[in-house]
Amino acid sequence: MEPPIVYYHRSEYIETDTGNKVSRKSVICGSQNIILGGKTIIQTDCVIRGDLRRTGGGHAVVVAIGRYCLLARGSIIRPPYKTYKGIFSYYPMKIGDHVTIGEGSIVEAATIGSFVHIGKNCVIGRFAIIKDCCRIEDNTVIPPNTVVPSFSIYEGSPGAFVDELPECVQDLYESKTKDYYAKFQPKDS
Amino acid sequence: MSSSSQTEIRHIRPYVHYHCGCPDVNKSSVSLETENGETFNINSPRIQFSTFSISKLYFCDDCHQIRCPRCVQEEIVCYYCPNCLFEVPTASVKSERNRCARNCFQCPICQNTLSVLPSSEPQPPPSPISPTTVPTVSATGAPYYLSCGVCRWDSQEIGMTFEKATGLALQLQKTEDERPDVKEFDHLKDHFEKHIRLNTPSTALPSSLLSIPGMSSFSSRYGGTVANSQQKSDDVVPYEAVAKVETESGLVDDLVQLKDVNQITTLSQRMNQLSDQPYKVERLQPQRIHLRTKRVKRCRSCRHILIKPEQKAQATRFKIKLVALNSIPKITIASLPKLILNQRTQIVLKFSNPLYEEISVNLAIQEETNECGKVTILAPHFNITPYNEVWEYDEQDLVASRSRTASNSIGIYERRGNSTSIMFEITPLAEVEEFKFPLLVTYTSKNIENNENENVTAVEKSLEETSSLKATSGEPATDGSTKTLSFWTVIGLGSVIKAPPGTSGTMVAGPRSEPSGSSKGSTRGSTGGSSSVRK
Ligand SMILES: [Zn+2]
Ligand SMILES: [Zn+2]
Ligand SMILES: [Zn+2]
Ligand SMILES: [Zn+2]
Repeated sequence: MEPPIVYYHRSEYIETDTGNKVSRKSVICGSQNIILGGKTIIQTDCVIRGDLRRTGGGHAVVVAIGRYCLLARGSIIRPPYKTYKGIFSYYPMKIGDHVTIGEGSIVEAATIGSFVHIGKNCVIGRFAIIKDCCRIEDNTVIPPNTVVPSFSIYEGSPGAFVDELPECVQDLYESKTKDYYAKFQPKDS
Repeated sequence: MSSSSQTEIRHIRPYVHYHCGCPDVNKSSVSLETENGETFNINSPRIQFSTFSISKLYFCDDCHQIRCPRCVQEEIVCYYCPNCLFEVPTASVKSERNRCARNCFQCPICQNTLSVLPSSEPQPPPSPISPTTVPTVSATGAPYYLSCGVCRWDSQEIGMTFEKATGLALQLQKTEDERPDVKEFDHLKDHFEKHIRLNTPSTALPSSLLSIPGMSSFSSRYGGTVANSQQKSDDVVPYEAVAKVETESGLVDDLVQLKDVNQITTLSQRMNQLSDQPYKVERLQPQRIHLRTKRVKRCRSCRHILIKPEQKAQATRFKIKLVALNSIPKITIASLPKLILNQRTQIVLKFSNPLYEEISVNLAIQEETNECGKVTILAPHFNITPYNEVWEYDEQDLVASRSRTASNSIGIYERRGNSTSIMFEITPLAEVEEFKFPLLVTYTSKNIENNENENVTAVEKSLEETSSLKATSGEPATDGSTKTLSFWTVIGLGSVIKAPPGTSGTMVAGPRSEPSGSSKGSTRGSTGGSSSVRK
């Protein structure tokens, strides 16, 4: 099915110089610690906790998100944390290009590669590593510290490998995210 | 469970599936002509196994044919652990039993990956260290154990601990080798191998099979003995079992007395245990994680490589990638109104051309009316402009100028970039769960005759240049030969519903709905309806 054009209220979104579209109804904490690569969409009710950074030190990137990503409605990006040798600390999170994070999903991963699709209502546990070209089906729970290798489809709770993705997934997800961005259009009302 | 619900959803969700004739699987339909001659039955149970979404298909340039997962041949080029991502040399895969021989274990209860934890928390160093440094294991943490972050199982429950936090599989090797079933298997193997070595001059199986890890012992045992069974099979010394299978006395009684189902292992837990399938939860052992592979894929007919991944385990690029997505027209359902019983409606299918040359497309259906209803192709012949990087994702243009450049031709909904959208008229005549119909797609592309494979990319590049130049002048790209390919597709449109109460179920002359609410639709619909063209 060809995805339809998605209209949003022009007044709701801020468009940056690099083409990022960020909803005013999202909660972006510590925006000075967040990098958006360009043409990335952050929809209504999303939360990005850029304020959760490691104690001490000065300015640091907490959440880096690449180009053509989509944080769908109500998704939450929260940097992972752990107590190591008695010291509690948050760690930075990196998300690649052409990544879709579905509605209501919570992401606490260490890294998410490029060309990744995360479905709706997923939980990506602390320090999970999702490599390039992966698909996490709706309602999947990826436990903390899990490594999801490239070309995998993970599903279930705890998320487990169910199938391989085809070789052309990179092209598929690239055109999907570009198409979504192109069809995410303002409307005055 | 989840898989069954998924298939249900897939049936209801609209789709376009491409059929692969699999010339090597079905010998009867070697040539395209015979395949077209046969009726393509979309209700055949075989259709599930011969139709695929375009992303799963390959395209063999040499055969000029679609290839599906059934008609490619796979060769393993690399083994790696999906958890630690370390590559395993092919030579050691067999001895390591196709599983990670490092630190990666699967929880015996929930199959999640286990983590290694120290049994005593190491003391914090006097000064705070940088959090980015990799946790170095201090000797104070020993002994270590495996722990599951999901179900909280830990290996101390079964008395399994480790002196070091690294090389866990090696530390377990000794206990694994001492298991009675492993010993028994080795004994059995020795027993028969002795016999086979004496009796078999050469193995009956090709040597390529012997190189498959874990296969050689199998093939020499079964393949070998079968080949020589007539001559000296009597010489086999009767085998005496070394280990006695311990009969779990009282197991049956325990099972009969069972009140809580959680006291025994589930089927999947049991089946995940390599050597024995215990009923008692406390006998479950953590299992080393299965290796994954990267494979080369070849066309079964001509042996040419269709997919060749980069050797490295973590690389995601391909040296060769001949996928259907880049070779044949891609069909997407662009507009699909609700299908209401006995009401004529129009759907739009979008055909995209991935090639650097213009293609002309012919569409045909077997019969206008099938058991689901009536299908009319409003534009059975049309051309699609070549693919051009410049057109791709011309974002502003996409929405701003929704002017259609194809108003002069009947049945063509719009032309944009390298795609042409075609209208179909659908009249559901039965309240089916899934309205589907077969569609034969034939396309012809102009191609420069070229026999040398090395030059293909160069030619494509020059074609790309010429086509972008010639596209404006409207001339055919070059005086090359033409190439034609036909393939069947199955278009699934989801369920048909009864007309809601209040509206009568009579035939409606105009199209039910137009995708973008255009007023042109009704006029086009009526002209299209009169010319029910088909092949
Ligand atoms: Zn096939
Ligand atoms: Zn491993
Ligand atoms: Zn577990
Ligand atoms: Zn071939």
